[in-house]
Amino acid sequence: MNMHSTSHPWPTAPLRETVSVDPIVLQIVEGTLNSIEAEIEYAIERTARSPMIREAHDFRVGLFDRYCRKLTGRSYSAMPNGVVRDFPPETMKPGDVFLMNDTYLTEGSIGHLPDLCSTVPVFHGGEVVAYIQAFGHHDDVGGRVPGSMPGTAATVFEEGIAIPPVKIYSEGVRNDAVFTIVRRNTRVPEMLSADLDSEIQACLMGARRMGGLFERFGREQVEACFQAILDKCRDIYRNELLAKIADGEYSWEDYVEHDGITDPKLHKIALKMTKKGGKITLDFNGTDPQSTGPINWPADYADGAFLIKWIAPILRNLADTPERAAEIHVNEGVCDVFEVIFPPKGTLITPEWPAATNARSFVLLRVLGLLAGVVAQAVDGRMPADQETIRYTGFFGTDLDGKSFLSREVLGGGSGGRYYADGNDAIHIVPDSRNQPAEFTETRFPLLVEKLALRTDSGGAGLRRGGQGYEKHYRALVDCRTIVTADRVRLGCYGLNGGKAGQPFCVTVDAEGEGYDLGGLVDGEAVLKGQVVRVVTTGGGGWGDPLQRELELVLRDVIEGRVSLASAENDYGVVFTVAGATGQPEINEAATKQRRADLAKAQTATPEMIDRGIGYEKMLRGEHRPRMR
Amino acid sequence: MSSPSLAARFRIGIDTGGTFTDIVSVDTQSGATQVTKVASTPANPAIGLLRGVNEILAAAGATTDDVAGLAHGTTVATNALLQGEINSLGLIVNAGFRHILEIARQSVPEGYGNSYFWVKPDRIVPLQFVREAGGRLDFRGNELRPLDEASVREAAQYFRAQGIRAIGICLLHSYANDTHERRAAEIVAEEYPDATLSLSCVVLPEYREYERAVTTLVDAFVKPHMERYLKRVHQELGAGLQDKPFLVMQSSGGVASADQVVRKPITTALSGPAAGALGSAVIAEIAGFPDLVTLDAGGTSTDLCLIEGGKPHVTNGGSVGPFPVRIPMIDIETIGTGGGSIAWISREGHLKVGPRSAGAEPGPMCYPNGGKEPTITDANLVLGRIPPSLIGGGIALNVARAREGIAALAARLPGNMSVEQLASGIIEIANWSQANAIRQMTIQRGIDPRAFALLSFGGAGPAQSAAVMDLLAMKACIVPPNPGNLSAFGLLAVDWRTDHIVTKVMHEDVIDLADVAARYAALERDAVATLERDGIEASRIRLVREADIRYAGQSMEVRVTAPGGAVDATFLSGLIGAFNAAHRRTFGYDYAGQQKIELVNLCVSGFGLIERPQMPKLAGGTGNTAPKSSRAVYFGAGFVDTPVFDRASLPPAGRVNGPAVVEEFGSTTVVFPGQYVEVDPHGILVIRALSSQDKSSQELPR
Repeated sequence: MNMHSTSHPWPTAPLRETVSVDPIVLQIVEGTLNSIEAEIEYAIERTARSPMIREAHDFRVGLFDRYCRKLTGRSYSAMPNGVVRDFPPETMKPGDVFLMNDTYLTEGSIGHLPDLCSTVPVFHGGEVVAYIQAFGHHDDVGGRVPGSMPGTAATVFEEGIAIPPVKIYSEGVRNDAVFTIVRRNTRVPEMLSADLDSEIQACLMGARRMGGLFERFGREQVEACFQAILDKCRDIYRNELLAKIADGEYSWEDYVEHDGITDPKLHKIALKMTKKGGKITLDFNGTDPQSTGPINWPADYADGAFLIKWIAPILRNLADTPERAAEIHVNEGVCDVFEVIFPPKGTLITPEWPAATNARSFVLLRVLGLLAGVVAQAVDGRMPADQETIRYTGFFGTDLDGKSFLSREVLGGGSGGRYYADGNDAIHIVPDSRNQPAEFTETRFPLLVEKLALRTDSGGAGLRRGGQGYEKHYRALVDCRTIVTADRVRLGCYGLNGGKAGQPFCVTVDAEGEGYDLGGLVDGEAVLKGQVVRVVTTGGGGWGDPLQRELELVLRDVIEGRVSLASAENDYGVVFTVAGATGQPEINEAATKQRRADLAKAQTATPEMIDRGIGYEKMLRGEHRPRMR
Repeated sequence: MSSPSLAARFRIGIDTGGTFTDIVSVDTQSGATQVTKVASTPANPAIGLLRGVNEILAAAGATTDDVAGLAHGTTVATNALLQGEINSLGLIVNAGFRHILEIARQSVPEGYGNSYFWVKPDRIVPLQFVREAGGRLDFRGNELRPLDEASVREAAQYFRAQGIRAIGICLLHSYANDTHERRAAEIVAEEYPDATLSLSCVVLPEYREYERAVTTLVDAFVKPHMERYLKRVHQELGAGLQDKPFLVMQSSGGVASADQVVRKPITTALSGPAAGALGSAVIAEIAGFPDLVTLDAGGTSTDLCLIEGGKPHVTNGGSVGPFPVRIPMIDIETIGTGGGSIAWISREGHLKVGPRSAGAEPGPMCYPNGGKEPTITDANLVLGRIPPSLIGGGIALNVARAREGIAALAARLPGNMSVEQLASGIIEIANWSQANAIRQMTIQRGIDPRAFALLSFGGAGPAQSAAVMDLLAMKACIVPPNPGNLSAFGLLAVDWRTDHIVTKVMHEDVIDLADVAARYAALERDAVATLERDGIEASRIRLVREADIRYAGQSMEVRVTAPGGAVDATFLSGLIGAFNAAHRRTFGYDYAGQQKIELVNLCVSGFGLIERPQMPKLAGGTGNTAPKSSRAVYFGAGFVDTPVFDRASLPPAGRVNGPAVVEEFGSTTVVFPGQYVEVDPHGILVIRALSSQDKSSQELPR
């Protein structure tokens, strides 16, 4: 990254060799920063109203120093750079609060419009010394469809209200005009303004706490601690994680298979990683042009600071143990280790306004798997296989009492196998994100949950199997419409080191049997009363050769219904006989030995390190038909 | 208990912990209390229990005839859950929902991206022992499909063949209609009479099927453990005590008879800690600090609890270990610092304190056969804050060894710190981490800690708590007498309690008051019947109605007390008013008049009131406060010659300015420079900042 050579409309931190800092104060400051972040999150969790924030936990808090450097590392977050660009710190006053969500005017920190973000400056001795920020994924900011995520949008104008950085509170006085405009542009004005209140109040509380730290220990000491905290992250990356990657160049590419308008189409994201000493360069040249539909991710701002903080955590998988990986917090210090080379304007990750971005999570999440796949090649495949755990499904219409309703849920999927463990079943990448209890769904919405299960055979086969995705069936009790924003509907999550790809996502509507596949970007397909919508989510990729999987693990998978008898035989080479009396399957050892030997022989030479699955080959052969209706 | 004879005047509280069993007796006529401690007998805790009872009777010069009743705090359920291997459990769910435990709520704990390396722990019931039953209800309790009895029978036969002993049944919407669950239970009992059964409509008739299923399974799992234990206690008590009322502390902060507890043993999941919170509530009332954060610092961890308005906070969103247990429990947070927390240097070269702990084995470096790394206790010792001997003065602590450990650590850190500077820093880091934990806990519950006092008990608390009070600008730090026996004391101050709940979601616009009235009446009948089964006279029964309410559209409810009397329009407006007020108190805002509400759960708690024990006042002393000795204690800049007081010799209304040290059996209290301590009439130590004196009558500044 060229932070020190490029000039920015925000202050740049001076270059320092090493800082000397009191080890005791350092611990207190670091512990208190983490506590402040948690306190703000607790306050929002308690006071926000959107289910997306309360249940799905889709909100993030960030603490930054006066150079807009992120200090805490439990989660990714937005960035204050856009605010500081438009409102120089010397013009800020205590009690000012800023609001923004414009995907093209926030220096890469906001990816889609529902993420309204509040920023509060922290003052000490009359000067701005830090920033506190929170954004939540709000339920609706207007646009063409309820939920503000139109899967077939071509421009931002279809996606809702866009707010460049504005002052929403000026020295403690609310700018009612901004509130009035925002409220007029959402389908849920009460909920949205309550969410904003919640986020703003929580940030103000956090700012008072942060100010207290400066008062207690003095600016010089606190800022020295900030630097030491950033340096610690940088050094862990350099000394511990990068040390596992041999110097050299590694390349790969991955794809998104639809954009809601052009369907199907392989949208390529290309990455060349150059590792040299304590530095990694990520070059995205070769990435396909921006899409007509809404999968664009405006990432080429602030030297890629957001992108780096977003994808660098994937390298934690190189830590010696999963417990160690969980200890490593990623803050702005990691930006000293990575440099990003963006392609020219006009690609999937450098789109030009007003390209639509509401489904940018497809590209955003794919880039995580892309970097993991590139790194895997440098470390003999000792990275996790792929996962895809965010998609939105929902229903809207008029309920039995004549009131309009909107039900939305973020369903996870299976995670990829690791060299030390199978992938996890039905999990979500967002920490503490929760699904909806069937009893909640049925009480609130005219829906009946007929099935909530793991999807058999969805996890890719492997020595360490991919985790299973969901199988959830909703029966509509009224005529209504369904909305879906989902990726990996043809390309399964990739398998690694001999492991197979997992099963892709699929949503079908049927009237008892004759189902039709809706694809992944659905803007309000009609569902008739009594029809069942079946959602099956992605399984994780497998890791390692499934023919090496321990027999007792295959047996358990079969008994528990995670793996079918057919898959056991065809993918794992394990042959079962079903004992008559108990109905309990038993392994036929002789047949298994033979079957595994046959399958091993049939394998062509050395398999690729990464298995993209059958869906990819079918796309190359042009065998997928469009599903948009 | 219904008509105790005049002779039966002793009430005995027994709190069984991991190491010690604490016993307190109160003479209900004189108010005199006796306390003692015996070693716990984990293999059969009933033995330690009886030994303690006999010991305290001997000390009081009484016989079993003099005993009016016993109240017991037990960790049997907790230990079974946290230490025991969980096996032999089965679950019956609706067709289509067999993976309910595997899926849970799909959440991955902590930071972003952890889903790549996190490993999902094994479920409480392996998938092969989760069986499906056909049949379905809707959320109003209407039957959509009849129960498929054959599928239940098949499941029961399968469990029997597999040797599954305890079975949970959790069917969708059973809180609205329990007939499918009850019929399923009949069928299982026919096919497999030896099985232990728990029904979700009994354990937790409340919506959210995953949490209800786990709570039901936890109940099923602890049931055989509790039955076996209480049977043993009954045997051990022998002829003289078997017929006396024997009450067990529940996690909710009330007691119930052994008979009730066996029906729903999950209510005892946090029996022990709940007793401590109840004891704290008694102190809160006596000391005149109704709003408290309690801090119980042990060797490896510290328990925090909130007392508001003299009552411990109760949550129905708690968990025991990894298991969500959604029944009312005293709201206790545990954090990973205690006296045995180790000071160490991370691989990045940074100083850390905890969460690794030397515990009781091997213990701090200064202990005989102590560990190899310095702990918080070692730091307190080298600073002179705690005496150089273990409880009572029996065993000498090795100051030199503690110094060596800390010096070795200092040598590996930058800045040429002295042993005292580092020791003081270790304590400072620990204090900040406790203060941050208290802040997080209070913010989560919408409370400002500055309006609260800190109550410190447990062996490792009082040496530091006054400094934690300072960091949070709390009103005072108070240390009760016999801080080690607070839990056993709490057992004697507890009312009978039984909680009943039903889910019925009603939007404000469609609330059927007759239906609400009928449901409250049914819950009240259940509560009264439960208390009457324990022999509580009608005159001692109090019923409290509560309701869980949310603004329509929210998914989290606030529990508020509902008016008694007729359920009419006035009732409803009172209830909504109470909700708006509670919402404002907790979240800082409300939508009174703007937003409609939804009733979610109706609850009734039945209380059987008891006579509370009086805490004896200190004998009137002279007010002359003389130290027993003095020693050099390190505070901030250097060593200060500091007076050391024997707590037993502190007279009521005595007052000492810090720095000062107050020693007693098992605990040491440190009063820091800039603070003072006062002894209240009951011997409770109250520490405040000297700077707070002139404004003690007004609110602290923001």
